[in-house]
Amino acid sequence: MDILQHLSAVLSLEVMWFIALGTLGGLVIGALPGLTATMGVALLIPLTFGMTPVAGLNMLIGIYIGGIYGGCISAILLRTPGTPSSAATVLDGYPLAQKGEAGKALGMATIASFVGGLFAAIVLATLAPQLASIALKFGAPEYFALALFGLTIIASLSGDLLKGAIAGLLGVLISTVGADPISGVSRYTFGLPGFAAGLSFTPALIGLFALSEVFVQLEKIVGDKIVTLKVSGRWPSRAEMRESVPALVRGSIIGTVIGIVPGVGSGTASWIAYNEARRASKTPEKFGTGHVPGVAATESANNAVCAAALIPLLALGIPGDVVTAVLMGGLMIQGLAPGPMLFESRPDIIVGIFGGTFLATVFMFIFGMLGIGLFSRILLIPKRLLTMSIVTFCFIGAFSINLNPVDLYTMVAFGVLGYVMQKFGFSQAALCIAMILGPMAEANLRRGLLQTRDNVLEFVSGPITITFLVLTVLSLLWPLLRDFKARRRMAEQPN
Amino acid sequence: MLRPVSAILGACALLAAGAAAAQDFPSRPVQVIVPYAAGGGTDLSARIMADIFQKHVKGPPMVIRNQPGGGGAIGTSAALHARPDGYTLGMGAQGPLALLPHYGGTDYKLDDVQFIALMGRNLQLVVACAKAPFSDFKEFMAYAKANPKSLQVGNSGAGGANHIAMEAFGRVAEVSFENVPFGGASEAMTACVGGHVHAMVATPAEALPHTKSGAIKPLFIMEEKRIDTFPDTPTAIEGGVKFTWSSWKGVIGPKGMPADVVAKLQEALKATFTDEEFVRRMQDLGEFVDYRDGAAYEELARNDSQTAEAIIRDLGMYQMNK
Repeated sequence: MDILQHLSAVLSLEVMWFIALGTLGGLVIGALPGLTATMGVALLIPLTFGMTPVAGLNMLIGIYIGGIYGGCISAILLRTPGTPSSAATVLDGYPLAQKGEAGKALGMATIASFVGGLFAAIVLATLAPQLASIALKFGAPEYFALALFGLTIIASLSGDLLKGAIAGLLGVLISTVGADPISGVSRYTFGLPGFAAGLSFTPALIGLFALSEVFVQLEKIVGDKIVTLKVSGRWPSRAEMRESVPALVRGSIIGTVIGIVPGVGSGTASWIAYNEARRASKTPEKFGTGHVPGVAATESANNAVCAAALIPLLALGIPGDVVTAVLMGGLMIQGLAPGPMLFESRPDIIVGIFGGTFLATVFMFIFGMLGIGLFSRILLIPKRLLTMSIVTFCFIGAFSINLNPVDLYTMVAFGVLGYVMQKFGFSQAALCIAMILGPMAEANLRRGLLQTRDNVLEFVSGPITITFLVLTVLSLLWPLLRDFKARRRMAEQPN
Repeated sequence: MLRPVSAILGACALLAAGAAAAQDFPSRPVQVIVPYAAGGGTDLSARIMADIFQKHVKGPPMVIRNQPGGGGAIGTSAALHARPDGYTLGMGAQGPLALLPHYGGTDYKLDDVQFIALMGRNLQLVVACAKAPFSDFKEFMAYAKANPKSLQVGNSGAGGANHIAMEAFGRVAEVSFENVPFGGASEAMTACVGGHVHAMVATPAEALPHTKSGAIKPLFIMEEKRIDTFPDTPTAIEGGVKFTWSSWKGVIGPKGMPADVVAKLQEALKATFTDEEFVRRMQDLGEFVDYRDGAAYEELARNDSQTAEAIIRDLGMYQMNK
């Protein structure tokens, strides 16, 4: 009875209006490169001061969920991840759009975001206090092992192992620019204050994926007649849906688990989900060429992270990323300290947030599905004009984050790097993964060794650490094993 | 893109206004550069300030601009190198002003700063983390003395305010710690609640939810007197260690602003920072308001800078980024 009573607060017209508004606003912010869900939440917090806690917090959650979803729109249509969490969606979403199936790619992304978000929201509402303790089990060694496992994706994702490794190492090297995480010394900054905090990640990403693609497109446009893409329907076929179910399940679970672990984030979750979906698939070679399950895996994972990140926030008062940290600020402003006490003292707030998370996920699905026709129309713009607009967006997006001109140089440099890599068959994905996970691996390895006084055995003694290290070895051996099996099969059936 | 436009506008304003600068000030929006990302404590405080500033100064609104990066050095440098007309100010925090110049690599010194008004301080509370082998100040000190350099204290970043605070405390108390740097306060708190470090330095607001839930225990506060939020937590002085430390933030500008403009800003900010609504909203956010005038603000900054310099030299980190 109580729960129903608390839920009725969410279902009031006013609160629903704010959730819808937040979700729609988040969707737009997420779709625009350079405007991230984090910024949206941070900038709108002052607006929530005057609202009731349930209305204010749910509007922010709506922005968060809408923002993470919105990132896929520009990733699929323009090869420009609107938020870093959609970088992995580029791999299959963009080729699909180029085949004229933008509607289908967006449709699958919307369905996947909905499924992932809903799954994590159910977990949030039913198991939050029980699962939250996972968040506390991760110390430096566990984070290091998780990051190392994530880095092995490079091995299975890049066709040419050697080129993949080179791209990955380059990414790790690039990620060492800036303040040393343990001693604070500046590394490779060439005395430029703009590099003191490291190369900005989002401008680098915009350059790497979007600007580089502009260069590639420019080559094609010269002399080429302009091709107008057809925009297909928004629903994937039944066969594609069936094929995507395992990817959706994997993505949702991986996203939820990673979402609970503080500080890992939706970018990592979507890369791991993509890799696992590909590994488990019967047709791994189709991934990366515009394969619907590829989109299903990444988008279900990154939206599952949103609701799952609320688990440690609400149950323990631990924010896992910048957005949830800002949400925590929003709770504190309302005089509410998140943590186990909140479940007992203010069940109305907890139920209200659970209800709001579901509603925002539903609104996201509705707005997404209704908007697909409109979004895909972007591709009907003549390519010359579209390409020029993308260049403009690249610059605005890269600059708007920190208002730092150095970020523009970063973006352009990564654009050139991305172009060269594409030309010579180096995996841009490998570079991107290494830039996300390299710092996490380095900081936690060194922090952990500092804490164990360089005792490596003690460092690798925890059960979670050992599990991830074993997975790392298996993941590294997998491509070799697959090649070996394939060769054996070839040998058995001589042609 | 906006720069040429605003330069022309600025030139026009100068020509038109001439000597009557302070009377018409502000005739266009005053911009305050926050050297950290949107959504953090300094940013939210600055936005509340901008809101209340409106009440006391008629004219165009105050605008907050975030320019994060380099631990606050980039935004602080931008504010200190702005045209000294009072239209571009900055939030001046302890890290970028009193600590970073000692590491080298900043293009400003404390002497370049026009201190306008101190807004508030972030008090430093030392807490015992989950599974720590001590639960009050006495046990903490006993453990630190018995296990030199192995009591692990988490902080929010190498060379940051609470790292230096703990090093400074250790020197006065004659104990040594193993300082474990994390990437930000919330990462450190997560490790603390999970029991991956023994103790950490936090602000009362950061610690409150977790001390309430019983996950961590407050040990002592680096203040002169006990504070309202933690009335049962002793100061270090009560425990026999004569040591206080807090980090702080206020409003600064470049040197060379017209004296009457500075005076007008000081008056307006005094009214803002002592406004009841401002104090209440800051308290809701967990911030500790402590208004001081420009001279007292400068004194605080210079004192802390001197203390920090000695520690940083001791740690071998002096001018390491030069």
